[in-house]
This record gives sequence, C-alpha cells and structure tokens, in this order.
Amino acid sequence: MILPKNKLNHWLAALKKHDLFTPTRNGDVVLFSPFSGEKDVILEGRPTLGPKGILFPQTETLFTYRIGKNAEIVDAADKRTKRIIFGIRPCDARAFSVLDNLFKDEYQDTYYLNAREATTLVGLTCSQPNTNCFCTSLSGSPGERDDVDILLTDLGDGYYVDIVTEKGQILVDENYQLFSEVSDSDESRKEAIIADAEKSISRMIDSTDLPNKLGKIFESDYWNKTAMKCIGCGTCTYLCPTCYCFDIQDEIQGIKGKRARMWDSCMYPEYTIHTSGHNPRPARMNRIRNRVYHKFKYYHDNFDVHLCIGCGRCVDKCPVNIDIIDIITHVKEGAQ
Amino acid sequence: MITEIREAVKEYLARDDVKYAIGYEKGTYGSKVAPSFAFSPKDVDKFIFSPLCINNLAVYPLLEEKLPLPRGQTAEKSKIVVVLKGCDSKAMLQIINEKGLSRDDIIIIGVSCSGVIDPKKLQAKFPNSPIDAAYKDGKFLLLVNGEEQHISKDELIFEKCKVCENPNPVIYDLLVGEKVEPKVDDFTDVTARKDDKPEERWNHWGQEFDRCIRCYACRGVCPMCYCKKCIAEELRPAWIGRSVNLSENTAWNLIRAYHLAGRCIDCGECERVCPMDLPLRELNRKMAKDVFELFDYKAGINLDGKPVLAVYKPDDPEDFIL
Repeated sequence: MILPKNKLNHWLAALKKHDLFTPTRNGDVVLFSPFSGEKDVILEGRPTLGPKGILFPQTETLFTYRIGKNAEIVDAADKRTKRIIFGIRPCDARAFSVLDNLFKDEYQDTYYLNAREATTLVGLTCSQPNTNCFCTSLSGSPGERDDVDILLTDLGDGYYVDIVTEKGQILVDENYQLFSEVSDSDESRKEAIIADAEKSISRMIDSTDLPNKLGKIFESDYWNKTAMKCIGCGTCTYLCPTCYCFDIQDEIQGIKGKRARMWDSCMYPEYTIHTSGHNPRPARMNRIRNRVYHKFKYYHDNFDVHLCIGCGRCVDKCPVNIDIIDIITHVKEGAQ
Repeated sequence: MITEIREAVKEYLARDDVKYAIGYEKGTYGSKVAPSFAFSPKDVDKFIFSPLCINNLAVYPLLEEKLPLPRGQTAEKSKIVVVLKGCDSKAMLQIINEKGLSRDDIIIIGVSCSGVIDPKKLQAKFPNSPIDAAYKDGKFLLLVNGEEQHISKDELIFEKCKVCENPNPVIYDLLVGEKVEPKVDDFTDVTARKDDKPEERWNHWGQEFDRCIRCYACRGVCPMCYCKKCIAEELRPAWIGRSVNLSENTAWNLIRAYHLAGRCIDCGECERVCPMDLPLRELNRKMAKDVFELFDYKAGINLDGKPVLAVYKPDDPEDFIL
C-alpha cells in the first residue's frame, strides 16, 4: 500500500486513540514521546534515544506500599493498553527481538512481555544512515522488515507501506481509505532506496567467530589500554537499545513507598560492589571488557545472537571516542 | 608545535620517575580526536595537536585507579605527563589548590591555544564527513573530505573560547606555542532568563532537567568532580533518589551546579558530552558570575590561591544571611 504524505496526519490522528509514541524534538535532541501533533514529529535522522524505554522504562514502579498499622501493597498498573511506536528504526526494532530472548527466558518478565504484547511497531526505513551505523554487519539492514509490524519507506511523495504482521494489518484496515494501491514503480523505488541506504553504510565489523575469538584474549593487555581513556560514565549503556541491566530500589517518603526498577550501568563501579566492600570488577578495564564480552560473547553463548544491533549511538556519543567498531576490529586482529 | 610536544614527551618518558604521558591522537572517524596514552617513545608519534583537541585531559590523573595492593607492596610513585590547554590548566591548578593532586605528581606541558572547534557546530555544517583541522596564523585551517573550506573562525569556535581569559596556560613545566592575546570575560553573556519571572525560569529548567537520563557523563568528564564518593551514590540517606524523574533530576543537576560554584573553570566539557544536550554551561557560568561579584574571585587562576568557599574573610558579604 501507499500512504500519500498529506494523509500522514490523518493516519496519526486515527492512531491517537491508542497510546501513540512518535519521535519528537525536545530541545536539541529527538526522543520518542507521546504524540502531541504532527508538527512535532521528526522522521528524519536517527532519534537520539531509541524507544527502549517505552517497553522497559528507565524507572518502572513495580508496586507501591504503605508501612505501619494499615500496611498494604498495591501492584503497579497493568500496562496492557494498546500502544503504537511510530517511526521506530529497523535497528531499534531488532533490539526488541534480541531482548525478547532474555525477557521470556526461564524467568518470564511480565512487565516487559505484557507491554511488548500490547505494542505495535510501525517502522521507518533509514534512508540516510549515519557515519557510525553498522547494522548491516549484524545481519540487519536500514530497510529490515523482520522485526516490525509495518515498515514505511519514504518515497518522497508518499510512504511505501509494507504490512508485515497481523497487528500491522489491523492498523491499516482500520483506516483503509487513507491508503492507495502500490504500482510496480513504487516497488522498485522502494527497493532502490533500501539498496542505496545499505550501500551508504561505510563502517563494518566482522562478527563471525567473535565469541570464540573473545574467549582467547580475556587477559590481553589491550583491555587495559582501551580502558585508560574511559571516564566511567553510563552514556554508552543508557543510549544502547539492547542494554537491559537494572537495579531495584525502594524509595520511601514517610509511611509511603514504592519499589521500582531502574536502568543500571555496568560502567559504574557500584554495579558490582559487594556489601563487604569487595568489588569483583574493580577497575574500568574490567568494566569495559565486560561490556564487550556481554555483547559479543556471553549473550551469544546463551541466545545465539549478539547483544548489539549496530545503531552506533555509543560510538557517536562516547565523550572520549571509545569505539565498539574499532574494538571489534582489534579483537579480530588478536587485540594487540 | 606538535614536534615540540612530541620531543618533550619523549624526553620526559625517558626519565625513571615518569610512568606515562597523556595527549591527543586522531580518533576513529569523522573529526574525532581521542585522548592518547603514551608509555614508550613509539606511542608518542601518535600525538597530535589541532583545533579538534577538545577534551580536557586534566581529568585523567584523577581517574588513576588505586586498587588494593597485596600485602607488602607499595603503590608506584611516579609522575604523569599531561598536555593541557589554557582552560585545562586552570582545572589542574584548581585541583592542586584544593589538594586533590600534588603538584609533584604531575608534569604539565602547557599549550597556548587560540580556541577549539565545537563539534556540534561542525556536525551541523558538515554532517558525516571526514574532517581534519589545523591552526594557521591563529585561524582554523579546515579540511573536509581533504578539501580546504573557507569558513570564519567565529562560526566554528566553541562559545567558551570567545570569552577565554586564559588561552595561555596558568601552570606548566614546559610552555609550547606562541602567546595568545586573552579575551575579557565580564559575564555579559550570562543574561539568559534574567528578566523571566521565577516560575518561568523554573519551568524552563524543568524542561531541560526532564530530559536528563542521569548517565553522569557530566560528572565523569569533569576534572572538578573527583569526590571519592559522589552524593549521587549515597544511599543512607539517599539524598538524590535513583528514580529518573523531574524531581530527582533537578536535585542532581542543582547539587552539581552548587558544588561547582567557585570551582568550575568553564572548560565546557559537561555541556559538550551531555547526550541529552542540557545547557549545563549556562548554570555553571551563572554560579561563576555570582562568585565573581560576591568575592571578586575566579577559579583556577591564583597560583597560591585557596578555594574561595574554603576560606573566611572578615569582609565577606553577608547580605544573604537573614
């Protein structure tokens, strides 16, 4: 199907009856936020932060409670209301597929899974990948359709609408009058746009045999050298669409409190410190190494997929140019 | 300039009491320049110096990890060589004044600097391009995709450099580069929102703090943030809740701003690295302005200066005490 550009606002208005999230300008950054009007929707460029937080909020209340005489526990609200993430990039959608492995493993994380079940992903082809995009190295593509429910591709005058799942079909069926038929030329234009986007990706990694390679260089001095410039902030992990580590904290005011889980970062010393004061990952070297190993070895050992989708945000925003693409290249060369 | 730096570093590295040197090297993509660590003369050949050398390297000696040692072993006591621009050297001086580091631990190669390029401005003008830059007669020589671009220095230079009073390092063991004429900083740019009503100002900053993701990049990159235990990590009591919401984010950002009053030397690193683009310099400049007006003091410039908020003078203004 084709969605003419002048019909986009009609479609968004119709989708608004659900919880609709769109990439929205906020100061100088673009974040996925509740839809507030078509003029605020930014579909160009890659959003600063992916929509991970919509399914896995940075701070998520698990339950609230009251202590003392009338003690009680109230579960957090059920989040099974239907929601739509509009304009998600194929890499960020792939991240959810990667994370599903973990959240539906032995322990079923209902907070994530319920939200995931209730969410429809309306994807958007990345027609202009950034310098540090490398999704094609991790079997992704700027026009990957496998992880979204609908994939839109901007053809200039309209969007090519590729319906991937039943969930996606519903969103189109409900508003069928907005869409028109696809012509053969639309089809080939879409293919060309995706092929061009793929070609424009210049940075690559070779991920074959990486877990095995990493297994052999754990003690390499390379990790010490790489970690020297790390300043120990959490930017790489918090911008990462696949980092999922969290901490659980109680926050109490008077007799009322909440237990919440919040994103945590393995880049912080506090992440692993024991009650005794001993820290099994005492130095930045241990922490950087762990981040790389978790992404390209441990997760792969467990789920047969890398915990990285090649969005390049950690590379873009690292204050000191620690570059995962460069690290993997060195690892392949034996990390000297 | 770079030959002079490289040769000096090599000489220092040859000494027995020097462990390594910190400078700049070409980064891995685009216009990136990365901090570089040299242990041997061979490593020093990577060192560069250009208008793209933005990182404040004064933070690194403070990031040295002092891990517990096996019984009987004592920590190595040797020096670190560090390349510092004018503003960066102010941070180092401030740290030394605060006794965060001992002057004897550090060898400073001071570089006179006629300004550095703001990577955000560069990215806006030349998105996703390989870029190199050099100094040429006090101007920027910019090469985009290998081609020279004629663009005025004003359009690319960091805002902080436009009011830089200390382009020439304030503390050093070796000074490199020709002396640069300092500018005057009378804080005239710190007018933002002065005419706003308090609630308008509050709302404005609320919108900014609301974006904060508490990655603590501002803290990590800041040479003045070197508390052994940061208040953000305190749990008993939890002065700042771990929840990421407007209230706790505001607490974090305001506490950090206050903690930098009279200490921030305006290297602008916090604002540069903030992934959410919070205008943190605006807060820090306001603090610096207040400290200057109240105590006639600017951080990081007095060689024998005591930190302004750590001393008492009988004639200190007291009109804020009710």
